[in-house]
Amino acid sequence: MADEFNRALGLAGTRIVDSVGSFLPGALVFLSLLLVAFIVALLIRAGLRRGLTRLEFDRRAEGWGISASGLTPSGSAASLVASIAYWTVLILGLLLGLTALDAALPTQFAVSVLQYVPHLLAALVILVIGNLAARFLARAVLISAVNLGVQYARLFSVGVKWLVLIVAVAMALDHIGIGRTVLLLAFAITFGGVVLTIALAVGLGARDVVARALSRQLRAPTDDKLDHV
Amino acid sequence: MPDETADPAVVAGLLTYQDAATVGAAARAVREGLAAHFAGVPTRMLIVDVGSTDGTVALVREAFGGAADVIEVAPHRSAADLLDVPYHGIPGKARALRAVLSTALDLKARACIVFDGGVRTLTGEWVASLARPILDDQLDFVSPFFSRPPFEGALTKGLVYPVIRALYGVRLHQPAAAEFACSSGLAGHWLRTDLWERSGAQAGIDIWLTTAAAAGDFRVAEVPLGVRAHGTRGEEALDLGATLAQVVGALFADMERHARVWHRSQTRVPVRRLPSPAEAVRPAAAAVDADRLVEAFRLGYRELRDIWTFVLPPRTIVELKKALDQPAREFRLADDLWARIVYDFAIGYRMRAVARDHLLRSLVPLYSGWLASYAGQVRDASPEEGDRRVEALAEAFENQKAYLIARWRWPERLRIG
Repeated sequence: MADEFNRALGLAGTRIVDSVGSFLPGALVFLSLLLVAFIVALLIRAGLRRGLTRLEFDRRAEGWGISASGLTPSGSAASLVASIAYWTVLILGLLLGLTALDAALPTQFAVSVLQYVPHLLAALVILVIGNLAARFLARAVLISAVNLGVQYARLFSVGVKWLVLIVAVAMALDHIGIGRTVLLLAFAITFGGVVLTIALAVGLGARDVVARALSRQLRAPTDDKLDHV
Repeated sequence: MPDETADPAVVAGLLTYQDAATVGAAARAVREGLAAHFAGVPTRMLIVDVGSTDGTVALVREAFGGAADVIEVAPHRSAADLLDVPYHGIPGKARALRAVLSTALDLKARACIVFDGGVRTLTGEWVASLARPILDDQLDFVSPFFSRPPFEGALTKGLVYPVIRALYGVRLHQPAAAEFACSSGLAGHWLRTDLWERSGAQAGIDIWLTTAAAAGDFRVAEVPLGVRAHGTRGEEALDLGATLAQVVGALFADMERHARVWHRSQTRVPVRRLPSPAEAVRPAAAAVDADRLVEAFRLGYRELRDIWTFVLPPRTIVELKKALDQPAREFRLADDLWARIVYDFAIGYRMRAVARDHLLRSLVPLYSGWLASYAGQVRDASPEEGDRRVEALAEAFENQKAYLIARWRWPERLRIG
């Protein structure tokens, strides 16, 4: 009885040691990868902060219409970019580390997430470009409308901005395959709604403004004929 | 009879583009001017067309076909020229001017004069008035001074002239004029620079040639030529925003290029104001709708203030806010304030605080405000009082030059204040 108990205990101990022995290298690799990822993330964050500050990224970002106020404690766009890069590298390190653990579930999860990363990145790029384009076009429309003497210039500007943003969000969501059918319907309804709203606003609310603008064009006021140069 | 095989003393270039209505009279005036005022001196006339499709070239050939002293020059053309509409209306103008200057140098001409084929009031007197100082007085650059109603050329009077005068100490009242005369030395200097290939050259070349002469220690003069009337093209096809973006953009780009020169320049470059047989004719004044200009300024303040804050310090924004409540007839924008606004926009352009085209176009409401203020001051004034008003404004730009240099050197330091 005692011998059997000792044997069973020995076998259990051997199994535990074997398990620990097979798990330990993976865990060490996991910790090493996490440590390396952490160091790389720290370096990238510091490098980006320094480089972007030197390039006066905050001021330029303001000029492009990108504001980080409320997103970071300092409200700095350079810090925001550095933080995004930091967390991206850290998460990638964590996912890579999970594959090293050789555990079925975490590995499967990590692989599927890693396969999804390119789509996520592409969607993120679409969103960033869409946001930049929306702000740029909104500003261009605002300035042109003001120079044409349109009293509701901001209305047009905001309309253009949201149209471009809606298109960008729809494209990004479509890219990562979230609710394609629902999205298509929602996009068509929202886009159509925005266009209809603008048409109604111009047709009913701003009818006088449009009429005045057209009559101004047809009348060709005297100071428009000035040779300014 | 001048020897037609000898090196010409004077070369006159006539730039044309869709000028069928005016080119005949303009070309005859130039040729007659050369014949009447430079008898016995070898001369050449260059016809430089940049792609007219209205029969301009055929008209010139018909009038002067076979004449040994008339040379047709075909400048290189770019496909991009068809897309850009410059405010002066001549696509690829820089290439055309380069062809004129190069040909003049190749012909070993001592003086080169340039005219615009679209001008209706061009006379033979202009040829003599522009070229004589180059030949007789050894000057390098002669710029015209045209009589203009008070509001005509307001952008030149209120911005381009004061800025160039403040930066280089050169009092050339119409630095963007299409007509000018230059010596072979200055033509060679221009051709050696890289300004021909720079972005924006096709629109800004007139200003750049003037500033290159001003920055290069050349002897300059200004000669009154009377009234300049031209056919419809160019600026009339563009809105004010596009015109202002081209002209002011060219000026600001030039400020970047010559920053070292104007930072050091403190002396006043003497500009000879030459007499001219042209009578001091004052053309009828065009009307300006001050109410509409002030309304444009107010709309701009309301909607574009957020963009202006990228380049204008808070103090300036506060001063603009104070100006909002003035009635249109009494609307005034102080000269110092307008000078600082222009300089701040120049710095914003240099720093790319906002997309450059957006920044330049957002200046339109501020310019409208200044024009309303200027119109209120010169509406009932005599022409001499109007000229004095422009000179007072230019002095304000000179007084604010230290502000410009300080902000140019330390833009971040002054951003907050």
